[in-house]
Amino acid sequence: MSVSTDSELEELRAAVRGFLDAKSSEEAVRKAMDSTPRFDPLVWTQLADQLRLPALTIPEEYGGDGFGLVELGVVLEEMGRVLLCAPFFSTVVLGVRTLLACGDHEARARWLPGIAAGRVTATLAAAEDSGSWDAAMVSTRAVPSGEGWTLTGRKSFVVDGTTADLILVVARTTAGPSLFAVDRGAPGLSAEPMDALDATRALARLNLEAVPARLVGGEGLAGRTMSQVLDTASVALGAEQAGGARRCLEASAEYARNRYQFGRPIGSFQAVKHMCADMLVQVELAEATAREAARLADEGGPEFPVAAATAHACCSRAFVFTALENIQVHGGIGFTWEHPAHLYFRRAKSSQLLFGGPAVYHERLLDRLGI
Amino acid sequence: MEQDLQAFTAEVRAFLDRHAAKAPDRTAFTWGEGDDSMAYFSAETPEVERRRVQQARDWQRTRHQNGFGWITGPARYGGRDLTPIHDLLYDAVEAEYDVPDTGTLSVVGLGMIGPTILAHGREHIKDRWLPAMYRGDALACQLFSEPGAGSDLAGLETRAVRDGDGWIVNGQKVWTSVAHHSQIGLLLTRTDPDAPKHRGITAFLVPMDAPGVEVRPLRQMTGGADFNEVFLTDVRIPDDHRLGEVDGGWTVALTTLMNERATVGSEGSGPVAAALSPQRLAALMRATWTWDDRALRARLAELLVDAMATGHLNALASRKLRAGITPGPERSVSKLMYGRNLTRAAHFVADVLGPRAIADTGQWGTYAWSELLLATPALRILGGTEEIMKNILAERVLGLPKEPGVDTRSPFRELRRSGAGQGGTE
Ligand SMILES: Cc1cc2nc3c(=O)[nH]c(=O)nc-3n(C[C@H](O)[C@H](O)[C@H](O)COP(=O)(O)OP(=O)(O)OC[C@H]3O[C@@H](n4cnc5c(N)ncnc54)[C@H](O)[C@@H]3O)c2cc1C
Repeated sequence: MSVSTDSELEELRAAVRGFLDAKSSEEAVRKAMDSTPRFDPLVWTQLADQLRLPALTIPEEYGGDGFGLVELGVVLEEMGRVLLCAPFFSTVVLGVRTLLACGDHEARARWLPGIAAGRVTATLAAAEDSGSWDAAMVSTRAVPSGEGWTLTGRKSFVVDGTTADLILVVARTTAGPSLFAVDRGAPGLSAEPMDALDATRALARLNLEAVPARLVGGEGLAGRTMSQVLDTASVALGAEQAGGARRCLEASAEYARNRYQFGRPIGSFQAVKHMCADMLVQVELAEATAREAARLADEGGPEFPVAAATAHACCSRAFVFTALENIQVHGGIGFTWEHPAHLYFRRAKSSQLLFGGPAVYHERLLDRLGI
Repeated sequence: MEQDLQAFTAEVRAFLDRHAAKAPDRTAFTWGEGDDSMAYFSAETPEVERRRVQQARDWQRTRHQNGFGWITGPARYGGRDLTPIHDLLYDAVEAEYDVPDTGTLSVVGLGMIGPTILAHGREHIKDRWLPAMYRGDALACQLFSEPGAGSDLAGLETRAVRDGDGWIVNGQKVWTSVAHHSQIGLLLTRTDPDAPKHRGITAFLVPMDAPGVEVRPLRQMTGGADFNEVFLTDVRIPDDHRLGEVDGGWTVALTTLMNERATVGSEGSGPVAAALSPQRLAALMRATWTWDDRALRARLAELLVDAMATGHLNALASRKLRAGITPGPERSVSKLMYGRNLTRAAHFVADVLGPRAIADTGQWGTYAWSELLLATPALRILGGTEEIMKNILAERVLGLPKEPGVDTRSPFRELRRSGAGQGGTE
C-alpha cells in the first residue's frame, strides 16, 4: 500500500477542495437533491477522469492507485464539507471495502477494475426493514439454481440502490449469511427510492424475487466480512462527518463575527461564544478519532477495531451537535429552507443512524474492547 | 531525526531498566487486587505526604543524574538541550515503569515556573535556582491568585513598593498549590496602581523563607490541604530578584500561563488514569451485577468514547510536533476534556455503586471512589476555569470578538472590584 507524506496529503486535500468548490456548490447540491438520479453523472465522470478518486483505495493489481484509509479520509472530509451528492460512499466505501474484505479474488478481479476506471458503481444491500446491519438478522434467502443462486427477499436503506451497477447482497443460505453479487439489470429485481430525511444521500428499497446472483466469497462467511466492512465504513463515514462538522463550525464562527445585535457582534456574547467553543471541542475530537483510526487501519494496528468504534461514536455525536448548534447560532434564518444549515442537520442525523445509531455503536465499542 | 529519536528511546529504556521496575499491566487488572486508592489530591497525614514528596525529589535527582532531569533545558543549567519531542518520548516510555509520581515538583515548578525563570530571570537567579529545581532540591510555587483576582488575574492587588535597591511587598495570595513544600515562589505584585491594570504589574522570585512570608494550609473540599493561603507582610525582596521589567510583569505571567496550559491535562498516569480504564470499569460493573444494565452500558460507552478520543487528540498533537507542524488547539481541548472525562467517570462509578459510594462498607474498590468524586470539581477551575478556556478557544482559535469592556484602558485604581478587603487597601 502507498503511504503519503503530510505534504502529499495536503496536496490531495487542495486538489479535491478545488474540484468540489467548482462542482459541488450549494446550488449544485440543491439541484442534485431534486433530480433523478440524485447526482450529476457528468461530475461523477470528471471525478474519476480528472482525480481518479474511485481508484484511490483499489490495489494496483486491480487497476487502482493502492492508497489506504488515511488518503480516503482526506477525500471524505472534503466531500462531507460540501455534502457532495455522488455515488462515492456507496461505491468506494461500501462496495470496494466489501470486495476487499470478502476474500474472493475472482470477484475482485471482475469488478474492481471497472470501479477504478469510474465505469461501474456499486453498493451493499445488507439491512432490511429493521435497519440492522447485523448479518445475523438477515432474512433474505438464497437458494441454489443451476450454476448459481437465486435470491428472494426485501432490502432497505440501500445507499444509491436505484443506480448502482453492482449490488452486493447479504442473504441467508443453509450455511448462514452469505454474500452475493447482483447486476442492476437482473430479472426479478426492482428498486424504488425511499423517502429520506437526507436528500443528499439516496436510499432505496429493493425487492428481490428469484433474482439470479453469484456467490461472493464462501457460503456462510458474510458475518465475518460484514464485521470488517462496518469497521472500515464507520471510519470512512467518520471522516465525512468530521468534514461536515468542521464546515458547520466555520459557518457559525463566521456568522458570529459578522451578525450584529444590540450594537455588538453576536460572537461577543458569551452564550454564543461558548456554543462555538463547544463546537470546536467536538470537531477537534472528531477529526482526531477519524484520522487516528484511519492511520491504525493502514498500519494494521491491533487497536484498529476499538478505534473504529470510537470514531464512529465520536464523529456521529460531533456532527449532530455542531449541525444543531449551527442552526441555533443562526437564529431564525437558520431554520429556513433557503439556508444550508438544515441540509447539514439532515446529513448529520441520518449519518448517525445509518448503521444503527447510538444503541448499536455503543454496544459495538464494548464488544470491540473485549471487556 | 528518526534515528536520533530511536537512540534516545533506547537510552531512556536502558536508564529505566536500571533504576525502576516495569509497571503492572493495567489491562490485566483483577478485581479486588492491588491498590484501590482513587485519590487525586493527597489524602494522607502530613508525615506520609512529606515522605512522598521526598520520594519524588529522590526520583527527580536520579533522573537528573542520568541526563533526564530537564530534557528541553539548556545544558548550562543542567538541561539536555533536546526537543519537546524527546520530552514526550521520555514520558511515554517512563509511563511503562513503576516510578514515584513527581507531580508536586513538575506540574507547577518544573513545568511552569522553570521555563518562566529561564525566559525572564537574571543570570545569577538562573544559575542559583534552575539547576537546583531540576535536580529536585528546590520546589517552586505559583503566587498568582488572590482572593479578589482569580480568572481576572490582572486585577491583583498585592502591593510592591520601591525601597532603596529593593522592594517591600504586602498582600495576600490564595489557593497556592505546594507552597508548604516550596523553597521559592513566583510572585506577581502591583507596582503602579495608576496604570491600566495589565501595565502596572511586576514579577519577582521570592524565597519562601524570607521574613514576612507566612504559609497557612487551606483545607479544600476533599478534606486534605494541598493548597494554601500565603500572607506577605513587609516582605523585602532585592531588585535583582525581579523577573522582567518593572511594570512588565504581565508578559512574565503570560509565559507561565502558556506553560500551564501545556502542563495541566497531560498528567495521565497513576490511579487517575486507572479511573478511565475500560477493564477497571467493566470489572466494577461485573462485581456489582450491573454489567447487563443497558442504560449503564450506554453511559460507559459514551464515557470511554470521550476518554479514547482525548487520547487520540493527544496522539495527533504529538504526531504533528514530530512532523515539524505546530499543533493547533489540541492541548487546550484536551485540558477541557481531561476534567470532563474524570468528572463523568467519578459520577458514573458512584451511580453504579449506589449507597456504597456514600458510606464505607469496607469492600475493596468501592467507597475509595468518593475521593475522586470530591476532587473532580477542581478540574473545572484550576489552571483557568472551563468558562475562561472556552473564551480563549473562541477568541484565539475562532476569531470571535472580545467582550466590550473598559477595564483594559482605565487606571487600575478606578476599577470596580469585589470581595472583602477590596478597594480600601490603597
Ligand atoms: C485545586 C486548585 C489549585 C490551585 N492552584 C493555584 C496555584 O498554585 N497558584 C495560583 O495562583 N492559583 C491557583 N489556583 C487558583 C485558580 O487559578 C483560580 O481559582 C481560578 O483561576 C479561578 O479564579 P477564582 O477562583 O477567583 O474564580 P472567579 O474568577 O471568581 O470565577 C468564578 C466563576 O465565574 C466565572 N467567570 C469569571 N470570569 C469569567 C468570564 N470572563 N467569563 C465567564 N465566566 C467567568 C468562572 O468561570 C467561575 O465559574 C488553584 C485553584 C484550585 C481549585
